[in-house]
Amino acid sequence: MRIGIDAETSWRLRDAWPALLVWACAAAAMALLDGQLDLANLAMLLVLASALASLWLPGALSAAIGLLAVLAFNWSFVPPRHTFAVDLRQHALLLAAMAAVTTIVSTLMAGLRSQARRAQVHARRAEQLRQWGETLRDAADPLAQAGALRDALAALAGVDVALLVAKDRVPDTDDESAVMRVGAADADQSAGLWHCLRQGEPMGPGTARHAGLPDWYLPMRGRGISLGAVVLRGQGTDATQDPLLRAHAQAVCDQMGQALQRVLMRRDEQRARDEAQSQAVRNALLAAISHDFRTPLATIMGAASSLAEQGARLDPQQRQRLAASIVDETEQLSRLTDNTLQLARLDAPGVALRCDWESAEELVGSVLRHARRHDPARRVRARLEPGLPLLWCDALLLTQLLDNLVDNALKYSPAEAPVEVLVRRQGEHAVLAVRDRGPGIAPAWRERVFEVFRRGEPGPQGDGDASLTPRARAGAGVGLAVCRAIARAHGGELRLRPRGHGGCSFECVLPLREQPLQPPAEDAAP
Amino acid sequence: MTMRVLLVEDDAELRRTLRDALTLEGYEMLTAASLSEGLALAANAALDLVVLDLGLPDGDGESLLAALRRRQSLPVLVISARQAEGQKIRLLDAGADDYLVKPFGVGELLARMRVALRHRGTRVSAALTHYHRGAVQIDLAAQRVRRDGEPVHLTPTEFKLLARLVRNAGQVVTHRQLLADVWGAEFVDHTQYLRLYMGQLRAKLEADPAEPRMLLTDPGVGYRLAEPDDDAAAPLMPS
Repeated sequence: MRIGIDAETSWRLRDAWPALLVWACAAAAMALLDGQLDLANLAMLLVLASALASLWLPGALSAAIGLLAVLAFNWSFVPPRHTFAVDLRQHALLLAAMAAVTTIVSTLMAGLRSQARRAQVHARRAEQLRQWGETLRDAADPLAQAGALRDALAALAGVDVALLVAKDRVPDTDDESAVMRVGAADADQSAGLWHCLRQGEPMGPGTARHAGLPDWYLPMRGRGISLGAVVLRGQGTDATQDPLLRAHAQAVCDQMGQALQRVLMRRDEQRARDEAQSQAVRNALLAAISHDFRTPLATIMGAASSLAEQGARLDPQQRQRLAASIVDETEQLSRLTDNTLQLARLDAPGVALRCDWESAEELVGSVLRHARRHDPARRVRARLEPGLPLLWCDALLLTQLLDNLVDNALKYSPAEAPVEVLVRRQGEHAVLAVRDRGPGIAPAWRERVFEVFRRGEPGPQGDGDASLTPRARAGAGVGLAVCRAIARAHGGELRLRPRGHGGCSFECVLPLREQPLQPPAEDAAP
Repeated sequence: MTMRVLLVEDDAELRRTLRDALTLEGYEMLTAASLSEGLALAANAALDLVVLDLGLPDGDGESLLAALRRRQSLPVLVISARQAEGQKIRLLDAGADDYLVKPFGVGELLARMRVALRHRGTRVSAALTHYHRGAVQIDLAAQRVRRDGEPVHLTPTEFKLLARLVRNAGQVVTHRQLLADVWGAEFVDHTQYLRLYMGQLRAKLEADPAEPRMLLTDPGVGYRLAEPDDDAAAPLMPS
């Protein structure tokens, strides 16, 4: 549908039949009443017909027909009849008045009609803008409305329309992957769209910019930003266009621009929130880690400075004890460093594990060997199900996991309580468990112990508080977090389960793979 | 005879500490802070052992190892940081004798140096043929293995694997080296073979296979046969 004031030019003859009917009736009436009424009354009929006919006729035509009718009236009814001669004293004034009234009425009627039509068009456009605004407000993604925008503009202007809409921010270069296109545009129009998008100003005939262009380019403007552009192809060549059409099309485009900007701002806000949150997490993580580091450092500093400054006055046993505590705490620091580095590494996307076929027995064996150095009473015991399948895993990481769990279990359970390392098969999974008889962990903290940065927070009040405090104070945070990260990097999971008669069981569940081909069995040599 | 040791380490503090500690143990110490310095010293001095740090400012230790390997059979101990896993294994495969991960204790370093010096020259001359630790006695020449005096029956592959470890007793032997020497070069990726056979060997030779004392695992790197008891003539000890 074509909306415009130029609808007047599309007036057609068939729209005029009521006017012709009016004139025919008037002519018939005048012929009929000729002789019965005097000339002045007959003239009134003509003026009435002219006024009625101008309801359907364009102003100029109506006036012209009115004048012709006056001439015909003069010919037919004004004596001397059948001449155009006029008795100046008697009828000149009448005919002149008729001509003037007919013309004025026609012109006024035409003006009125055109105003009414304009008001109608305005109302229709206002309604269209309102509906478009609502559509955009309801749309989660205005990009999806680009097609609708094109259709609306094409209907409005009656020409081909092509769009270019930025998907996010406007790219620095004319990067086609950063924009969405609707409708076909040739190379010139494409360049024009990009230019219009960057300038944020309408271009083309009738605008202040590039008036020589054959097409209109309209930006989709938000506040201080332009997020898309439209080309109305060939619009510039249409000389009869409505001067308000461009303003309306621009308003429609700007609504789109504002909707796009709203989405962009929402996205920016979300990004800023995420950024702030990850910054907070990082800070908390750093705080927790540096706290973990400071504890062994303090011991080392104390022991080493004592040796340096009081060395001569210490007896050999004291010196030995200080040196031994330096060695112990350095090992603790070393473990912390390994854990922290590993946590950072596993946190990165696409981390590559050095996986190979590993035997659970060997992994546990090397963990035990390591643990024995801090386990003179041999509290750690291993129980492995016979005939365990091989694990496809990163041996260093899995040893680190078990090492941390065993170290924790030794640290947080009473000095004589046993610590068990169990490996068993459970369906398509292998379960590696480290179980202690310590005080256990309060239900509220069973998930949180795996989160590094929780450690800095005060523990929950209540029953579980006492059981948490030592674990929270002594630095299990990074250790358990890295254990879980290791399990997950292997497609498994690390869980904490309370045990029946006190203590907890950390269980690492790893998926099993199809076992590799083994060499054929051979007989023992004699 | 005083053993002469070249220490290539870029950290001044660690270099001085290790130099003092090793001098105290009776070693004659040469120190280098960079790869080029190390290369120059190695070219001009007769050495018995090199302790090589991997993270050097002017290049990686691999080129120094290659230069040393070309000229002489000189034991090389690699010191690495935890992050240099891949490089560590490459160096071991390329002929380094053993490695230590920082931080390490002096006692550990001395033990590794002792083992490396004991193996010095075995690349060219005859290897160790006898091994004795705890209840286990191994005689490679006679192809005999005894535990608590009783003969232990091994399959040919088990024996080959054990013999390969005995030749480097006290030192780590990488998966790759073991697979290549026992099964052949085309089997270097078949780590599962090693898991199977090491398990069988442990079952036959270890008192508690779940906690081995002799056939040790170096996770992600290889296996290490524990150092033999010093006095081969000592009476057999029940484990």
